[in-house]
Amino acid sequence: MLKRKSLEDLVIDSVNYFLLTIILIVTVYPFYYLLITSFNSGHDALLGGSYLWPGDFTLENYKTFFSQKTWVMALFVSIMRTVIGALTGVLFTCLVAYGLSHQDLVFKKFYFAIVIFAMYFSGGLIPYYVVLRSLGLLNTFGVYIIPAMLNTFFLLIAISFFREIPKDLRESAYIDGASEWTIYTRIILPTSKPLLATMTLFLGVGQWNSWLDSAYFVRNENLRTLTYRMIEIINKSEVPREAVEHAAGAGVTSYSLQVTAMMVSIIPIICVYPFLQKYFVHGVMLGAVKE
Amino acid sequence: MNVSITPHSEHAPERITPSRTTVWKRFKKQKTLHFFVWIGLLFLLVFSYTPMFGILMAFKNYSITSGIKGIFTSEWVGFKYFIEFYNDYMFFTIVRNTLVLSILKIIFTFPVPILLAIMLNEVKNMTYKRIVQTVSYLPHFISWVVVLGLSFTMLSTDVGLINKLLVSIGIVDKPIPVLTDPDYFWGLAIGTAIWKEAGWWAIIFLAAISGINPTLYEAAQIDGAGRLARIWHITLPGIKGTTVVVLILTIGSMLGGGLIGSNFDQAYLFGNPSNNSTSEIVQTYAFKVGLAQGRYSYAAAIDLVQSVISVILIFSSNYIAKRVTGSGLF
Repeated sequence: MLKRKSLEDLVIDSVNYFLLTIILIVTVYPFYYLLITSFNSGHDALLGGSYLWPGDFTLENYKTFFSQKTWVMALFVSIMRTVIGALTGVLFTCLVAYGLSHQDLVFKKFYFAIVIFAMYFSGGLIPYYVVLRSLGLLNTFGVYIIPAMLNTFFLLIAISFFREIPKDLRESAYIDGASEWTIYTRIILPTSKPLLATMTLFLGVGQWNSWLDSAYFVRNENLRTLTYRMIEIINKSEVPREAVEHAAGAGVTSYSLQVTAMMVSIIPIICVYPFLQKYFVHGVMLGAVKE
Repeated sequence: MNVSITPHSEHAPERITPSRTTVWKRFKKQKTLHFFVWIGLLFLLVFSYTPMFGILMAFKNYSITSGIKGIFTSEWVGFKYFIEFYNDYMFFTIVRNTLVLSILKIIFTFPVPILLAIMLNEVKNMTYKRIVQTVSYLPHFISWVVVLGLSFTMLSTDVGLINKLLVSIGIVDKPIPVLTDPDYFWGLAIGTAIWKEAGWWAIIFLAAISGINPTLYEAAQIDGAGRLARIWHITLPGIKGTTVVVLILTIGSMLGGGLIGSNFDQAYLFGNPSNNSTSEIVQTYAFKVGLAQGRYSYAAAIDLVQSVISVILIFSSNYIAKRVTGSGLF
């Protein structure tokens, strides 16, 4: 086929590439700026002027971050809630989904109605808080994990995934005398690895990023997450900067520490999210259409 | 399934028992599965349905020390807290902010992913397309807390990179207080919402575009249609269905900030005493009144007003979509 670029094509292509490049820069540069600022000495960062390379390269910010107990503790809590929260969330949600995935389940319609209704309506934050309080979950590590164990959105995804698994696999195991629990752990879970990986990563990202629970459902300072500490230091930074400077010593300011904390929070996400790519479309679609 | 009658069915007339016994038999056979489902339903009962009953506290004089039981046992006060909310000195401000933010977000943030998807679709260089796309949805996975921190490094008056740049070039005399001046909050909210979520929502529109039959484009090209004409007459009509669905859902959830649901995070994290007059919304106000001041019934009443409006919005947008396009969601 003979292709000749018309003037219209040329104009559209150049404008398009130009705009997309701007989008690219606007999205990437803030992260890059964060990166170089975290490797720049606190004082040089306050002066400004380092746009592409740290003006005064240093590792002090990271050293300070990893030597301060509050930050290390917060990072530890964040990692623990991410790992435990994602794993329990995946296993519990999949277990319920396995029960619901049977096409010939008695009362199936009724069960689904309960799930769908819970997905669309909620009682709001205040009654939810009352429930957490009555259960004694406030101010415990469990408040991060237990309410997040069943994710209705992934419940529906898992159900549709399990229904794709050939029935024969399940039935032959059943005839061999395997219990439902054995079938779930030995057959369903091992054949659903892509689903499990996706769910783990999405639930993990959700746990890693959440901040409200740490700010309001917890008072014990040892249970605060990285996100909470970041809010704290950002809000502190709104007072005139000179007042908090020299707090940590050795060219580390409250601002450079804040930037370093943000980098620590972003790096795991950047490492993980390209792997989620494959499953995006399906997930977003289902999220938009809900069943 | 097995519809035959069990041998022991002589206790009951033959005509009724078949279905009943088989249901019971099936149920017994599936009992482990039902157990799995029940622990899930128990979870929903505790964490979803109990809070729904908790809405009752909006009509009652509820005290936090009475726990869940207090929701049912405390004394009724009718619409007392709703009237109190209406007379609250913040009533007008927070209702206005909620509505303005929600409507501005539909107008400005809803079309951006569609535009971005079309722009990406026009890119011939696959590597470049993939790079831009992959990068564009990175912010979706970043916490709003980090977005707040990033805005701070970019826009604050003392360390903000953009402000520093503008001052040093001489475009402005003194830094622009984007993060604290109430006049900038709405723009800031829309800007950060677009920055964070446009790439993510472009995925669904890109998927819709990829579902368009490529022969349509070839035919149009042979007929002499240019690039813009093809976008206008093929791409846009091709993604109409998806656009309508996403729009209905966005309108239905608009008080929360659309499908992104960003209103609360933004208003809470970016809001501060200086920009309070434009940043405080119904949700954040209810939250602060409830958890910070301990006025639970009052906060529940405020929250309920928003929920009721949201439900009305979901049903009316669905109804309108049904009338206009012939298809709704339910």
